[in-house]
Amino acid sequence: MLVSGYYSWNWLEATHVLTLMISIGSLFIIDFRMLGWVLPDVSATAIADRLHKPMIIGFVIMFITGILLVYAKPVENVQSLWFRIKMILLVMAFINAWVFNSRMKAADGTWDSARVAPKGLRTGAIISLCLWCGVIAMGRFIPYDWVDCPKVSNTALLWASGCVEQLNAL
Amino acid sequence: MLSNLLSNYRTVAGLAFVVLAVVLVEFFEVRASIYPSLLPFFEWLKYSSWIGYLGITYGSVYATIQAGHLISMAIIGGTVLVTDLRLLGVLLKDIPSETITKGTHQCFKYSLMVAIATGIFCAAGVADKVYYMPVFWIKMLALLTGSGFMFFIKQPLLNSRPHHEIDPWTLRILAAASIFIWFTVAATGRWIGFS
Repeated sequence: MLVSGYYSWNWLEATHVLTLMISIGSLFIIDFRMLGWVLPDVSATAIADRLHKPMIIGFVIMFITGILLVYAKPVENVQSLWFRIKMILLVMAFINAWVFNSRMKAADGTWDSARVAPKGLRTGAIISLCLWCGVIAMGRFIPYDWVDCPKVSNTALLWASGCVEQLNAL
Repeated sequence: MLSNLLSNYRTVAGLAFVVLAVVLVEFFEVRASIYPSLLPFFEWLKYSSWIGYLGITYGSVYATIQAGHLISMAIIGGTVLVTDLRLLGVLLKDIPSETITKGTHQCFKYSLMVAIATGIFCAAGVADKVYYMPVFWIKMLALLTGSGFMFFIKQPLLNSRPHHEIDPWTLRILAAASIFIWFTVAATGRWIGFS
């Protein structure tokens, strides 16, 4: 029903993508603040604290719509190399967010009004930016089917891409 | 009185004139008459320009640039939401709105530049298709309105005086209009993919 309904699919996908502006937008503002690229005169923890709620709201909507998108086309998604990489990057991004948050809470508050955060938090922010850019890129790659199973000879790539027939034939 | 009013609101009057001109052009179907002359440019963009060639030939490059376009739009969304929700009194209420406005504008400008550059690349790869899509032209109009609104109305007004001296309803209308325009830009962009 989700796939066959023209508007249901489009609305679902559009909501998933447009919520990026709330979730990733807020997250990037926090990361940019840690690096001193935006709002350098504002307390870094205040930015992180105040943007936490809209960011979580954005992520919740993204996850709900994301789960529905996978539910609508389960085989296409689960068998996609890009979807698999996206899931790995997502897990890594959440681990990084958890570590980043713990470090921020544990850090001595004297850096709070400095233009840039301490090195550990800056590294966390850069890793976060890279991982989320990767998640977005992999999400964008999912509709493209570049891995042509019959033409692939590399076993690892066959396994990663879910080319079951070719793997069994080896 | 009229000259006094025009000197005070020259930029706003200028932009209102442009918007009115665009509406009239659309209403009297002037665009429809100049529309066919744009087709050769779109065809050149896809088949003869190097960005069109890159987009058609290398699917991975095209998809990567598309991802860059999405990321820049996400950053635009972040800066717009932070600034406008502050002006609406929803977010970051304990931080002066002047600080938020100034602190995010640079980031907005760079993201807009990246979004436009990557957007041109994305359009070039499918130029002969987007030319016929009404939603593409609506997006271009929304982008033009959004940029004009940001650089000729919103920023000059917000930088002209301390925000507590500006009527709160003006600030709220400004913020709501900004969110609406940029949401339209993003939503029509997404809809191009479905058309």
